[in-house]
Amino acid sequence: MDAAIEVTGLHKAFGPRAVLRGIDLRVARGELLGVVGPNGAGKSTLFRTLLGLVPSDRGDLRVLGLEPRTASIAIRTRTCYLPGENGSYLQMTGREYLNYVFGFRARTDAARLARLQDGFALPLQQKVRSFSAGMKQKLLLLGCLSPDVDLYVLDEPDRALDATVRFFLRDELRAMQRLGKTILLSSHHLGEVEALADRLEFLLEGTFVAPSRLAAARAELRQRPRVRLRAGQPLPAGASEVAREPDGTLVVRTDGDPMRWLRTVPADAVDSAEIGIPRLEDLYQLLLGQPGGRA
Amino acid sequence: MIARKTWREVRVMAFAYLVILELLCIPVLLLWPDFYPELQRSTLMKNLGIDWLGRIGEAVTNNNEQVAYLNWCAVMLFFRSANLVCTAAAVLFGTGLFARERENQTFESMLALPISRGRMLWQKVWPPALGLVVPIYLVNASAILWSWQVELDLPKWELFLASTHAAVFAVMFFLLTTLLSIRMRVQAHVAAGVGAFIVLQIGVYMTQRIRSYSLFHLADFEWYGPVLAGNTPAWQMFDPIRSHGFTTYLLLAGAVLYGLAWRALRKAEP
Repeated sequence: MDAAIEVTGLHKAFGPRAVLRGIDLRVARGELLGVVGPNGAGKSTLFRTLLGLVPSDRGDLRVLGLEPRTASIAIRTRTCYLPGENGSYLQMTGREYLNYVFGFRARTDAARLARLQDGFALPLQQKVRSFSAGMKQKLLLLGCLSPDVDLYVLDEPDRALDATVRFFLRDELRAMQRLGKTILLSSHHLGEVEALADRLEFLLEGTFVAPSRLAAARAELRQRPRVRLRAGQPLPAGASEVAREPDGTLVVRTDGDPMRWLRTVPADAVDSAEIGIPRLEDLYQLLLGQPGGRA
Repeated sequence: MIARKTWREVRVMAFAYLVILELLCIPVLLLWPDFYPELQRSTLMKNLGIDWLGRIGEAVTNNNEQVAYLNWCAVMLFFRSANLVCTAAAVLFGTGLFARERENQTFESMLALPISRGRMLWQKVWPPALGLVVPIYLVNASAILWSWQVELDLPKWELFLASTHAAVFAVMFFLLTTLLSIRMRVQAHVAAGVGAFIVLQIGVYMTQRIRSYSLFHLADFEWYGPVLAGNTPAWQMFDPIRSHGFTTYLLLAGAVLYGLAWRALRKAEP
């Protein structure tokens, strides 16, 4: 498949701090790629470098067949970008803001705009300053997703959105992908990105984690059920405590199959139990505790 | 689109600035003849040893109507407006141009728009610059309109020349503020930076020995007086070789500041 984004050996440092350390990335046209990683991993810098907003120190970059350093405007003409830290023009009404951002675009997808307006249900005649954080994010999404371009780069598009809107957004992104649009997004909701994206890349300390290493970490986490025991109940045999969360939930490591272990636990000893749902922060901790990046 | 948005942001300030300039004539017209003798007795003014004050005062209270009126124009339009109001307006217009975008976290999305940084700067700069310059010419036009009251034919060309110099002076301060607005992240820091520069310049201006080194010396009555009297033809204002050509120097300074602003914006990162 033709590549929308091709990156080889991308390095970027701010002074002595290396933020991107040898990124290799290929995103096919029409692909939806999710990028996850802890704060400061380099996600935003990667996106900015792809758009030419920040110059790379080393590496070969091609975005929509163009070099970001020399053809940034051409890339930005064919790309819509939603920054992670994105404010709003508070003095404008929602409608004025949309007219402003659409004024820079050759065309918008009228059907998509109508769907998004319907789904987000924003009072566009009101000043943005009267909007809540979630409403502002919906307005920014409306301005970013409605133009008809080839590539959409979305840095935490689900920020401040409730679950219902996140699901609506997920459906809309899928619909855009079906139209052949390439989408690159980052998020802190691992489960939702996994459910949405064709592929997931895990960025850690400026480099993508090797798939085999990620798979091993996830397998390890699957061995670690989270259980909340009733008061005074001891941890049943066959598992050892790995961590205790502030609400009293125990992260344990079972000797064998966690499902089998859970069956041995008396039902009246447990308030809740969770198996096989890796949390992003657990992945971060586990991977950060291991040496090395992508081999 | 950026120009339209910027104009929306500054239009109220531009209108207020125009009104203030127009209103300045009222106290000058009504109070100056009574105010001047009081001012002459001021120990502070005596100690400062500013000779233009005496010259303006003599001119305004001069029996020769023409001399008085011309100098009134100088006082009303230029000494007060160009030096203080125009500079203040230039700082107000320029401070938020880019620093506010950073404070509001809209700077990155602005940089990501599909236009060049040069076009971005131009569209950010020209609406406030116009809002700064047009009132200067409008106030002069209104002075010409009022001149029938004193049955005097105002020197339109000289007023136009003086207005042009005042406009260039104001735009230079505006571009200085714009440059700092790109380089600094907080509006308060921009205002403090330009404010410190202005205070320094005023300090130099108030110190008699080094007054001629102050930028404000280029926009005081000593400079505008000869222009309004018709003693400084246009070529002298703009010719840095055969004459002082201070207007050209200001224009060059403005061009350099604009170039520096463009360079700073080109290198700016989110």
